[in-house]
Amino acid sequence: MRALFYNYLYVYLFVSLFLLFCGIVGVIYRRTLIGMFVSMELIMNGAGLNLVAINRFLCPENAYGLSFTLFIMGIAAAEAAVALSIIILIYRRYQHIEPENLKEMKD
Amino acid sequence: MNLSEIIFLFVVLATMAGGATAVLAGSIIYAMVGLITAMLGVAGLYIYLNSSFLAMMQMLIYVGAITVLIAFAIMLAGPLYQRPKEWTTLGKFGAALVTGLITLLVFLRFVKATFPRNFPQIGAPDFHLGAKEIGRVLLNDLLLPFELISLLVVVGILGAIMLALFSRGKR
Repeated sequence: MRALFYNYLYVYLFVSLFLLFCGIVGVIYRRTLIGMFVSMELIMNGAGLNLVAINRFLCPENAYGLSFTLFIMGIAAAEAAVALSIIILIYRRYQHIEPENLKEMKD
Repeated sequence: MNLSEIIFLFVVLATMAGGATAVLAGSIIYAMVGLITAMLGVAGLYIYLNSSFLAMMQMLIYVGAITVLIAFAIMLAGPLYQRPKEWTTLGKFGAALVTGLITLLVFLRFVKATFPRNFPQIGAPDFHLGAKEIGRVLLNDLLLPFELISLLVVVGILGAIMLALFSRGKR
């Protein structure tokens, strides 16, 4: 019997690699801080998908990969809260959110 | 090719298209919608990986919470019509593309070297680790990281509130 298409490890690895590629391109290419933040979320999604795929195909007897994906989600939530509040703070002070024009760090 | 494979192909294509839209879209709203599409596609891939609990968590945390946070940040960071376009110069796009391609090549070589061609890729059919096993692992072996994550989330949320409340803007 032929193996089904979604029972290969390579497919998931390639999808997560594509997400990592998109994220890295976006972090460099984006102009505003929110766009860079969206790209970083893509990178975190790729990391989680990678962990779950390797846990399912290579060591299916314990659930360490799933637990670490949950940790990644928690870290992403905390990072989102802090990063977006910093972005709003930057907007309040400088009236724009472009990282090219942020030259001073302290008042 | 049966129905489940067609749906899987659709989920993979939705994930990839969402990721590309999140990077290449000119407006930040479209980028956010692309991010939602990519996250929903990853949730579908979690379902195909037999871990539906993680798919539910993905939809709750990423699609439900973080996207709403991004939408709030977009709304609070100025009106859209006086926002500059999201594109930067062409040279920067070339630099980003070159960096991404180098990363892609490095990780492709890594994947090829780690998992050789004769590797048995057929997944174990009896993979059913649900919330019960995840909870056992979290409370037995990974208890310290679990508590540290909760502490991190509390400190992060408190720090966000402090930053947003007690900061004076330069008017």
